[in-house]
Amino acid sequence: MTDLGLIAIAAAIAIFSSGCSSIGEGLLISKAMEGMARNPAAAKDLRSSMILGAALVETCGIYALLISILIIFILPGYIH
Amino acid sequence: MSLFGPGNLEFKPNAETIICLCICFVVALVFVIGGILARKQDPTKPSKGLLFLLEWAVEKVDNFTATSMGEGFPNFGGVVLPIICFLFLNFVIGISGLPTPMAYLPIPLALGLFTFLMIHITSIRYTKWSYFKRYIDPIPIFLPINLLSMWSPLLSLSLRLFGNAISGYVLLTLTNWGLKNAATVLTGLTGGPEAMVLIPIATPLLHAYFDVFSSFIQTLVFISLSCLFIAQERPEQDMQLAVGSRKES
Repeated sequence: MTDLGLIAIAAAIAIFSSGCSSIGEGLLISKAMEGMARNPAAAKDLRSSMILGAALVETCGIYALLISILIIFILPGYIH
Repeated sequence: MSLFGPGNLEFKPNAETIICLCICFVVALVFVIGGILARKQDPTKPSKGLLFLLEWAVEKVDNFTATSMGEGFPNFGGVVLPIICFLFLNFVIGISGLPTPMAYLPIPLALGLFTFLMIHITSIRYTKWSYFKRYIDPIPIFLPINLLSMWSPLLSLSLRLFGNAISGYVLLTLTNWGLKNAATVLTGLTGGPEAMVLIPIATPLLHAYFDVFSSFIQTLVFISLSCLFIAQERPEQDMQLAVGSRKES
């Protein structure tokens, strides 16, 4: 296995965290939807809080994406 | 390689810094013109044009800071509104095809540094010498952990902006590259015109998501989090005392 293949596998492992954060995002949105269905009068407040929370949860996935981008584009420069 | 070595503090202009400085200049110019218009305006007549827009924005931002930060921060909207304009324009300029300044780490780092400094300045302002008590919060053993966690707002705020911008940039570049190659395979064109076949179909949607929507949401998140971080440094029970002592002095 070449070094570049190992780097690609490392990037794929790093992006796994992004999938986990998307599970959390799904939970968050399903709960918000439930709340909106129970109490439609509060839908406006819930929607803004939900978007804020979704952006916060998404941060974890974005860190993972950042790390895997760094692994793919920066690391190959150091192995030769 | 040291941070303050020779050559590291020189100003080396690249596309991102020039765009960022232009946006800074434009935002400053708009606010200066707004200030001049507001001085000339007759207060008995309804305002219109740029002044109307600025008044609307100032009112919205003042309401936002009042609801999210409480009563202890009057005039904080004056700091928040230029940062909103600067951040949003820096993000959304990517839609024009220019390089996004947010994808250049020093610029989001500077915005994160603003919040970081404001957190500590607010803490010193309200708690005076017991500011240093935050580093040994429950017991003195926690000193190294607290010294590390001190940097987490700076890192999370700046890396959130940087990560969003760079991920959008990389995804758009990859999509454009792939569609260009696919068009070469499909039509047999080479050397430029094949970029006009498939790319205009897919990129507008991606630009709408990664530039406009993402910049709006990230501006909202950055400002909300900054306000929360800064507002939570004010101790609640000492508020009356602080206000009273300031009135006496």
